[in-house]
Amino acid sequence: MIRIAAVADIHFGADSSGMLRAQFEDLTHHADMLLVAGDLTKCGGPDEGAVVARELTGLPVPVVAVLGNHDYHSDEQATVRSHLEDAGVTVLEGETTTVDVDGARVGIAGTKGFGGGFAGACGTDFGEPEMKAFVRHTMALAEGLEHGLRSLEGCDVRVALLHYSPVRDTLAGERAEIFPFLGSYLLAEAVDHAGADLALHGHAHAGVEKGVTPGGVLVRNVAQPVIKHAYNVYTFEPSRALHADAHA
Amino acid sequence: MAATGEAPAESRHYIVQRVRQALAHDERTNELDLTVSVNGDKVFITGTVPTTERRDAIAVVAREVLPDHEVHNHVTLYETAEPTDGEDLS
Ligand SMILES: [Fe+2]
Ligand SMILES: [Fe+2]
Repeated sequence: MIRIAAVADIHFGADSSGMLRAQFEDLTHHADMLLVAGDLTKCGGPDEGAVVARELTGLPVPVVAVLGNHDYHSDEQATVRSHLEDAGVTVLEGETTTVDVDGARVGIAGTKGFGGGFAGACGTDFGEPEMKAFVRHTMALAEGLEHGLRSLEGCDVRVALLHYSPVRDTLAGERAEIFPFLGSYLLAEAVDHAGADLALHGHAHAGVEKGVTPGGVLVRNVAQPVIKHAYNVYTFEPSRALHADAHA
Repeated sequence: MAATGEAPAESRHYIVQRVRQALAHDERTNELDLTVSVNGDKVFITGTVPTTERRDAIAVVAREVLPDHEVHNHVTLYETAEPTDGEDLS
């Protein structure tokens, strides 16, 4: 069995040190890896990057993360990223990584993603340069995500790791006026075109956990105020092919 | 504490947004995911934050913005227990 632990929006500040350390050190009892879906810090300061990196260093399972909007607020996202990488965390932005679990391969494609809204009620790359830049940022990140997921074809399980939401489903509980700032259908389209087994996101603190893309890919919002635990765990049985090998 | 009486709907509107902006930008909070509502001279704040320090800072920041209002801080803390079981997605 492949066990994926995931959490988002832990928003570490100087006051957070130790808040999740014991639960993280106990991860082997629950999971084979930890995926962190952005907003690791309160405002993206280098000091906060160092605190959250200390919380995530030396854990018994591989840790893979994407950054969230809060991690960009101080314009120190590169510093936050290098603190995390120095602590052994794999940070993805338009990139992929794989984790092997008992001979099965889990592929993870990650991006922060961005907003724009959802089909039928979304922004268009039209008009002022600021509007075009807003929507084109999402388009570029969605394209990178699709490319990344395609490059993982052949993995037993493929996961899209995002901060912004690919679907409206998991935003239930948030006010509809702010949906365009919470995610974009372009992320779901990328996931559906390339194919995946699971899309994880955060950012929607007042949303709900469960959703699905128009193409049928499961979506889980793992924002900590939503899951109300240190992390949630999602499991997959290895593919039929692996089963056949194992029982041959 | 001096009561301001029932503020017109329009000014209530801007008061809410002044508090929300302060809670987002103030380094003691940096909270964008709180709900702020104003009723007369009372301000109610709800939401969930990671630490007691930040929960307490929310009331401090709101009182600095609206010293003549009564701030009711109903913000709760993140729950961080380990999960008891996983969800099978295969
Ligand atoms: Fe967040
Ligand atoms: Fe966020």
